[in-house]
Amino acid sequence: MDTQHTEQSGELLKFVPRPSRPPVTITYGPAGWLKKNMFGNIWNSLLTFTVFALLFLLLKPFFEWTLIKAVWTASTRRECLAISPDGACWAGIFPWFNNLMYGLYPDALQWRVNLGFCIGFLWFVPLALKKITNKMFIALSGVTLFPFIANYLFLGGERSTFHYIVSCFALAYLLLIYGNIFLKYMGKKQFEQYIEPFTGRLYRKNTFLSAHLMILLLLTIIIAYLLGNLTLEYVSVDVWGGLFLTIIISSVSIVMALPIGIVLALGRRSEMVIIKWFSICTIELVRSVPMITVLFMSVTMLPLFFPNTMELNKLAQVLVAVCLFAGAYMAETVRGGLQAISKGQYDAAKSLGLGYWYMMIFIILPQALKAMIPNIVTSFISLFKDTTLVSIIGLFDIMLMARNIAIDKNWLGLHAEPLVAISVLFFVICYTMSQYSQRLEKKLKTNR
Amino acid sequence: MSVNTAIEIKGLNKWFDELHVLKDVSLSVLEKEIIVVCGPSGSGKSTFIRCINHLEPYQEGSISIFGQKLAKDKKSAALIRDNVGMLFQNFNLFPHLTILENCTLGPIWLRKIPEDKAIKQSTALLDRVGIAHLAAKFPGQISGGQQQRVAIARSLAMEPKIMLLDEPTSALDPEMIKEVLDVMIALANSGMTMICVTHEMQFAHQVADRVVFMAEGEIVETGPPEQVLKNPKWDRTSQFLEHVLSH
Repeated sequence: MDTQHTEQSGELLKFVPRPSRPPVTITYGPAGWLKKNMFGNIWNSLLTFTVFALLFLLLKPFFEWTLIKAVWTASTRRECLAISPDGACWAGIFPWFNNLMYGLYPDALQWRVNLGFCIGFLWFVPLALKKITNKMFIALSGVTLFPFIANYLFLGGERSTFHYIVSCFALAYLLLIYGNIFLKYMGKKQFEQYIEPFTGRLYRKNTFLSAHLMILLLLTIIIAYLLGNLTLEYVSVDVWGGLFLTIIISSVSIVMALPIGIVLALGRRSEMVIIKWFSICTIELVRSVPMITVLFMSVTMLPLFFPNTMELNKLAQVLVAVCLFAGAYMAETVRGGLQAISKGQYDAAKSLGLGYWYMMIFIILPQALKAMIPNIVTSFISLFKDTTLVSIIGLFDIMLMARNIAIDKNWLGLHAEPLVAISVLFFVICYTMSQYSQRLEKKLKTNR
Repeated sequence: MSVNTAIEIKGLNKWFDELHVLKDVSLSVLEKEIIVVCGPSGSGKSTFIRCINHLEPYQEGSISIFGQKLAKDKKSAALIRDNVGMLFQNFNLFPHLTILENCTLGPIWLRKIPEDKAIKQSTALLDRVGIAHLAAKFPGQISGGQQQRVAIARSLAMEPKIMLLDEPTSALDPEMIKEVLDVMIALANSGMTMICVTHEMQFAHQVADRVVFMAEGEIVETGPPEQVLKNPKWDRTSQFLEHVLSH
């Protein structure tokens, strides 16, 4: 034996680890891949053929209807049918396109909706950029400040001074974000750092923060001065509709669902009995009732709780209902995530001296929410789809608009085409959300 | 110079429902003293040191720290955790934060130390436990021994006066035990007050001022390591030692 020999002579063999080899990879090429996965043996081949045959049989009429025999230009449904009796009549969608998008929002003012969405979009673009570091802050500012601008643009009319100033401040903030992004990509210092020496003389404690605030105030004043003469025509909530309304309802409820859900979930696990029972009651009550009921209740019953003089618009009532509903569901999702956190994490956080809120905010919730991203996005997606229910209580959302096409005298009976079009639209939006969540999951995956 | 009492525990009693897990446990620990607590599993030693920093509630008895008697409310829990650091068997690092962030979280948010200063301090501590080069990694990417050393650095970042160690090496394999023990020995020699639950008798021999042997929820005997480990007074102690030392 080799080893024994060396032990006896008093010196050990020197162990040198072998150099690592690159991993073995087997490449098949397209033909090989087909052979391996599709036609491995006779049963596999048979299965492949059957599936493809079925797919062909199913998809062929669909494709014929949607594309090959479809009519794209016509002025009435009658014309459509005359050209191609068994093809889709997409021509009916186009004259209604604006209504599908904006409901009954006046045509001449639709630029305000577009502008609002562009600003909102701009707010979330930095989140996808790699060099940006304080993304959490940008997202939070977007969620809190953007609604003021959106409200101002979409609704218009007489607004309070406070509202006006906050909107200007929000615009200033957005400008500052983009200014700083621009400087960062140019490899230069941030705006704040340029005027830090100046503010340092005025206020010593936190020069960076005061510089930041100073620029913001300055920009706000400039913007407020520039936009001083701007008056926007009032557009009642009653004419909002289409995809625009669907997006508003779903984004408000998505943004609100998470905080409501977190508070309710923490409340449910609280040691304080009153908070605990309040949370349990809210969650169970809202969860065990169909959403339509919650919607009807909010429209008929919510006004009873407010004084007669206070005018509550239908949209606000719906938003309250949907947020509550979404929050209750989110609470259970978050609770699931909280349960996945081991006791050791609580022990470690406590023994470090963190109090309840610090422990939750820095240690427990980030892990719980991360583990729950797929479930959270699933609820967001179903929430987005559920908002189409508001058409039942008479809001002109995209579903109601689609059904209205069928009772337009030119397009009488055009049911299928608008629904297919909306399905495609919903699929695109929901699939994007799902893809984004998968990207987020991958990015946040730090352990294992 | 007179030596102060760091922790004074008197008549601690604890029940898990019907189960009486701590029976009249009393112990006073002097400043800079190293106490090793050993005993068979289920003897209540982990529960005992978890009671000290209020991770477990207890029903009877009193704990005072540096002469200050503690109530059972949140305020005293905060006070004691402010002075006492703790290590766990399973390290319990925060998996969503980097090694450095694990260490700087406490100083930045609880001690309100500016971020750059906290980073500097924590890096120095990580250097002291020999893993400064891993600062940017996540806990899931490093070995168990390295994780426990991070946990040590994380505790030290809060500048505790007393350290509680709950079987810090029992989840590690033999090669890693040594690297953690080395850090623990260095820590003991630096003048830290420590209460350490461990089965590492070598460690007890080398640095302990006193060894406490616990069984069935009570302290059976306590004394200098030579006495307790070499010439125990009680049969229960020598029974246990036979099992441990035969390994």
